Amino acid sequence: MVAHVTVPGFEADDTLEQDAQLVQQCLQGDGSAWEELVRRHTRRIFNICYRFTGNGTEAEDLSQDVFLRVYRTLASYRSAHGGFATWVTSVTRNLLIDHYRRTKRDRITDSLDDAMPVVENKASSARRPDELALLGELSHQVQAALTKLSPELREAVILRDLQQLEYVEIQQVLSVPEGTVKSRINRGRIELARVLQQMGVRPA
Amino acid sequence: MTWTCEQTETRLSDYLDRVLGGAELEAFNAHVPGCARCAPLVASVSDLVTGLQSIEQIEAPPRLLYAILDKTLGPRESVTGWRALLGRLRGIASVRFAYGAVSVAATFIVLVTASGFNWKHPKLADLHPVKIYRTADRQVHFVYAKSSKFVNDLRVVNEIQSRLRQDSEIPSNPESTAPQSSPQKPGSTDRSKPATPRQQNRANDLARHVEVLAESLPACSARLSVLMISRRTL
Repeated sequence: MVAHVTVPGFEADDTLEQDAQLVQQCLQGDGSAWEELVRRHTRRIFNICYRFTGNGTEAEDLSQDVFLRVYRTLASYRSAHGGFATWVTSVTRNLLIDHYRRTKRDRITDSLDDAMPVVENKASSARRPDELALLGELSHQVQAALTKLSPELREAVILRDLQQLEYVEIQQVLSVPEGTVKSRINRGRIELARVLQQMGVRPA
Repeated sequence: MTWTCEQTETRLSDYLDRVLGGAELEAFNAHVPGCARCAPLVASVSDLVTGLQSIEQIEAPPRLLYAILDKTLGPRESVTGWRALLGRLRGIASVRFAYGAVSVAATFIVLVTASGFNWKHPKLADLHPVKIYRTADRQVHFVYAKSSKFVNDLRVVNEIQSRLRQDSEIPSNPESTAPQSSPQKPGSTDRSKPATPRQQNRANDLARHVEVLAESLPACSARLSVLMISRRTL
């Protein structure tokens, strides 16, 4: 019943070395090295943005902004402070929080519109769990539930359980103490489970 | 040591991540099974974590990569004019494409030639569909006539050869051995000439057959003439 989970981080040794080498080539003006770096990290950054915003178009725009900022500030990156992937994820997180604050007013209006579907989902709790646990459907339901979490809890759950980062990596990305990371992940999981329960979804 | 519901909830992720040990794990396990609030919570969060980690990553749209590269490296140069044409030709410059092109060209030439098109004096009127149809129809009949004639010729030649073969087998016949067994007359040089009237009649019949066939088969007249001469000298 209980899942004991150990998840790998994204900073394998060979990945770190390859990224560091590509960054050096980029700084020497090698355009193909930059293209390779973008290819290696686009999918992951797009997924973080999509899971955080719940909107494909916004996720695309934010992903472009992330790489634009990374490209402009590449000279300030120091491999001694962590891997390139951690650094890019940190830039992504900062942009997502900025984006969240910018669009807060729009979301307040949206949340009033969303009140009705939540009530409807409560009524649909009679659905069979095996129907709801289908992978694709679960992905959509988790996406809907994630947007109801606070940005701090949401990003912690996304980085830990969807991106499968280690606690240390999340600590570097969020620039908060380890205790805070653990607390956010724990509260985020419990809150997400409660939201899914309200929606009538049992993940497994 | 027993834990409260708040303590259990606070350490839930530590339990799922297997960080709890010793007395803490015992306290957790002592509390959860009997707690109506914590038991379903632990079950639902455990299922959630398993479910989240089974969700696969979404594929980024392909245009995203190019949009990022355009924004960072600048728009890609679009090749135009002769360079674009050369680039396309470079793409199709392969042995397989060359073989295909040659076979298509050869088929086209054969078909156009068969339709009666004169390559030395080309006329646009030769490519008119009605003319192509008539020419093709005539060509088909012509080829059919030539083919049937050739088959008939082969049949006749085969018949002649089989009859000659039968004739050459005559010496092995008992009646044909009689002349050979008879003593040769001194000064006689024509050793193969039939010694009996019956053999002479057979040779004459064969020569007559060859003459008739030669008349009905001009194409083989030369060869038949040779055959006739050779038979007459027998």
